[in-house]
Amino acid sequence: MYPAIALVRASTSRYSVTGLYQGSVGTANYARLFEQAALPTVVANTVVWVVVIVAVTVAVALALAQLLNEDFPGRRLVRWALIVPWAASLIMTSKLFVWIYDYYFGILNHVLLALRLLSAPVDWLGNDSTVMGAMIAVGVFVSLPFTTYVILAGLAAIPGEVYEAARVDGASAWRAYWSVTVPLLRPALLVAVVLNVIYVFNSFPIVWTLNDRNPGFAHDTMITYMYKIAFRSSLRDVGLAAAVGVVNVVVILLAVLLYLRTVSWREAEA
Amino acid sequence: MIRALTTVVALGAAVVLLGACDRGGDGPGAAGGRSITVVIADYSKEHTKPFWQGLSEQYTKQTTIKVDLRIIDWNSIDQQVSTMIQNNQRPDVLNLNSFSSYAKDQLLYSADEVLSPRTRDDFIEAFARGGEYQGKLYGFPILSSARAFFYNKDLFARAGLAGPPKTWDEFVQAARKVQALGGGVIGYALPLGPEEAQAEWAIWMWNNGGDWKSGDAWALNSDRNVQTLRFLADLANRHRVTQVNPGKTNRTDGAFQLFKDGKVGMVMGFSPLAVQLDADKKVSYGIAEMPTATGRAVTLGVEDYLMAFKKSGNQDAVKQFLDLYYQPENITRWISAEGFLPVTKSGLQQMSVNTKLKPYLDALPNARLVPTTDPAWDRVKLDVQQNIGAAVQPGGDPKQVLDQLQKNAVAAAGSR
Repeated sequence: MYPAIALVRASTSRYSVTGLYQGSVGTANYARLFEQAALPTVVANTVVWVVVIVAVTVAVALALAQLLNEDFPGRRLVRWALIVPWAASLIMTSKLFVWIYDYYFGILNHVLLALRLLSAPVDWLGNDSTVMGAMIAVGVFVSLPFTTYVILAGLAAIPGEVYEAARVDGASAWRAYWSVTVPLLRPALLVAVVLNVIYVFNSFPIVWTLNDRNPGFAHDTMITYMYKIAFRSSLRDVGLAAAVGVVNVVVILLAVLLYLRTVSWREAEA
Repeated sequence: MIRALTTVVALGAAVVLLGACDRGGDGPGAAGGRSITVVIADYSKEHTKPFWQGLSEQYTKQTTIKVDLRIIDWNSIDQQVSTMIQNNQRPDVLNLNSFSSYAKDQLLYSADEVLSPRTRDDFIEAFARGGEYQGKLYGFPILSSARAFFYNKDLFARAGLAGPPKTWDEFVQAARKVQALGGGVIGYALPLGPEEAQAEWAIWMWNNGGDWKSGDAWALNSDRNVQTLRFLADLANRHRVTQVNPGKTNRTDGAFQLFKDGKVGMVMGFSPLAVQLDADKKVSYGIAEMPTATGRAVTLGVEDYLMAFKKSGNQDAVKQFLDLYYQPENITRWISAEGFLPVTKSGLQQMSVNTKLKPYLDALPNARLVPTTDPAWDRVKLDVQQNIGAAVQPGGDPKQVLDQLQKNAVAAAGSR
């Protein structure tokens, strides 16, 4: 609890550039936060960042988990390989992708040019229209292992008899998937979505590393925005950054509550 | 002689320490448990920690005061120091690239309080001035560096260029000829991304006769400076002699990497880049003065600082630590190992025998410092780093960018 109290207290205080406490300012930091010109852009970035990563991750993880649930030669190896992006440090993974995306040295441009999918190299991380997509791809890549394993556990928990019953009733494979697998996976999906939303929202290293070359706040999410306000922009304002921190906690709590309510409400309806 | 000197210093230290203990009660603990916290920025993995660890052991041997040594990387040092100060756990000695905000907040001892006159008098005058706030020395120079103009000799020969450009016109011609070689070769690598944009900008600005300030007031959007930034935008968008997206390219993994790979004709570098180039042996390079539009080449000197934090009962302990670092054999040994430049007269004398350092030492008298003595600089620097790159992107407006920076600088100067 102490960090939360300290955060709230900091958000109502003023600090000098050095971090020296200069007294209480009440709610002034919150008022100033909502006057920041960059805020709408950052909020929009954050929504895109969280929604797209979680949606794509869950969709791909559903397919991957289905595949890994089947018996095939080398399954054990693939299952192990899937853990790698999860086990590697996020900063190392991000640095690796910085090189993959590099305009001059990056392997992505080489491959796409060789396959004639591109006619000229692209500056993936410097081009305003591609940088968010490039970051999201990394976000999906590192979120997949955990999500896939949660869903895989869910699949393993579905008893074989229900599929037998479906087959006896003459259900096709697709029908069985939509009417048997998906409903029974609901608890696993719920866990996967909630944890991923929190995790992706709070993710710092990917955006920080891949976006470090770009000026301003054009591609920041709330988390990197908070850090920049405190230490990397001309604001250099720990109090204002703490206000962003409090808003972040409140927003993520509300989002998760809202999601859980919607889901359980649909369950009641069904 | 040195041994005798050490003994005298040690004896002196012991006497001072006994005196300090006599006063008692005031300090952070009794003699046995006394310690100071020393925060040092990580300049290199090979040299920084070993040197400061050795110095700390030497200090503890002489004074019995323990040293809590923290080596922190540049990426997180601002954050960690700010956290220490927020939590009222200030370091006793801090190494950083800024000092005046700390002096303004009245957190620091001045030189009169913690440096012996001999140490104070050994500082090169320009660097001592660079550490002054309101007429007193608070930011003690710890080391310095200077930028120089690097060019790729092979590419220059292929482009039929006899030598490095001296004027801006010659520079544009050279960049065009190198770029015209084709095959992905780049004329000039211009890093105006957030990492170090203020340094690149300062050099171009000064070599067109502009400056950060006019007198005591900020003058970021002077006509000269607008002209300079337009020149840089033209390099990127009209002459097309830079790498892609110069406003979004950082120095270390961008411009330097391209130069080290032999893809670039010219770049502004410093001695650590030369060390890497020498190790790689891939690029044959020359070092020259900055091209200038005013007839007098100016380079950027960078000075980092040591600061002593005021805490009750730590004055003597801090003084002894600083005196130990500033003993000529200690400071010069470390600066040489890291590949930086001296800040003391004795160090300058000792290091001038090193021929590798000659171009930088020659440039030192013409080097200018950024206005770190102004507490608003900490904000202005970050603002320039974060925003100036937008001016050289396609469609960027140099005047508008500088007007906004000027507005923010004036606001920062007025704020507390």
